[in-house]
Amino acid sequence: MIEVRRHNAGFCQPCFLKHCRDQVSRAIEEFEMFGPDDRVLVAVSGGKDSLALWDILLDLGYQVDGLYLGLGIGEYSGSSGTYARQYAARRCAPLIEVDIPSEFGFDIPTGARAAKRVPCSACGLSKRHLFNQSAVDGGYDVVATGHNLDDEAAVLFGNVLRWETAYLGRQAPVLPAAPGFARKVKPLVRMGERETAAYCVLSGIDYIVEECPMAVGNKHLGYKDALNQIEVQSPGTKAAFYFSFLDRVSPLFTGIAEEERQGLQPCAGCGSPTTGEWCAFCKLVAKASGAPLGGAAGGTTGAGVAP
Amino acid sequence: MAVPVRVHAMLERLGINRESVLVIVGDTLVTGDALLSDDTAAVEIRPVISGGCDSERRGDPGGAP
Repeated sequence: MIEVRRHNAGFCQPCFLKHCRDQVSRAIEEFEMFGPDDRVLVAVSGGKDSLALWDILLDLGYQVDGLYLGLGIGEYSGSSGTYARQYAARRCAPLIEVDIPSEFGFDIPTGARAAKRVPCSACGLSKRHLFNQSAVDGGYDVVATGHNLDDEAAVLFGNVLRWETAYLGRQAPVLPAAPGFARKVKPLVRMGERETAAYCVLSGIDYIVEECPMAVGNKHLGYKDALNQIEVQSPGTKAAFYFSFLDRVSPLFTGIAEEERQGLQPCAGCGSPTTGEWCAFCKLVAKASGAPLGGAAGGTTGAGVAP
Repeated sequence: MAVPVRVHAMLERLGINRESVLVIVGDTLVTGDALLSDDTAAVEIRPVISGGCDSERRGDPGGAP
């Protein structure tokens, strides 16, 4: 059914699904991500990675709720939300929804234009802020995201090309909790994108296949393409690149990230940790919605929980 | 395309990197050495690469702009 060349293995359906659960278990244990008593909030986009992650964590018996952020990106957001809700209903799992347009008065395309940022930048900072805020507000111990091996290898590749040492210091499967920050984990780091997609297909999980229209042509896709050109010739390269970085190089840069975290203070608007008086999200909300700083963004994320 | 053909050969002829797609025949996920012939059901070549986000390089929400 599916071959995983870097493992030099082919799998039938039940063995592949077990392989995926084992890879996630191993990542959770190896990187000490969380335990059975921790409340986990999974950031769900309706895509293959986040739905596969949620499914695997539920099957492994963890206490996992989902968080879906409505980004206001036209039909794409409509479809992705539907897939997230369908999955939650299928598993009778709680899904928290935060709709940026209705709760904060802007959508990602509009916000990006108002703040003179590229859409991916506005989207990324909004997601990071709201994932963390939702976890803190809801009393969750951990935020889990669906970043997989391919994502991490591509981010690493991009940061190495530019020697972005501060970002290299922040790239890890686990970012520990700190004042104002929930612990953030990436349990899929041992799985490639092809594996998470195969997991969904073989598990009968419907997910949004179409790419976000805002992401077309971004550098991240280019890095993934470059790495896959190498991977097809030399299976296992992406895993070796990323895990060798964690073992041998990451410790050299984590001090830079620690220094940054020492200089954080609560945002005057929402209380989130920031380097300045106002956090980047509050500034984005103000520019995008026309509201004064601190006027539109609050410290809570509201939204109901769908059973 | 001339058949029969192996899936990995088909992808190579189409210029598609096998690491970036799944191949689904009918409702069945198939491996690279699966053989496609005249009477093969519909073949879906499903891209698996998601674009992510350029700002992901930042990682942790450290409050950086």
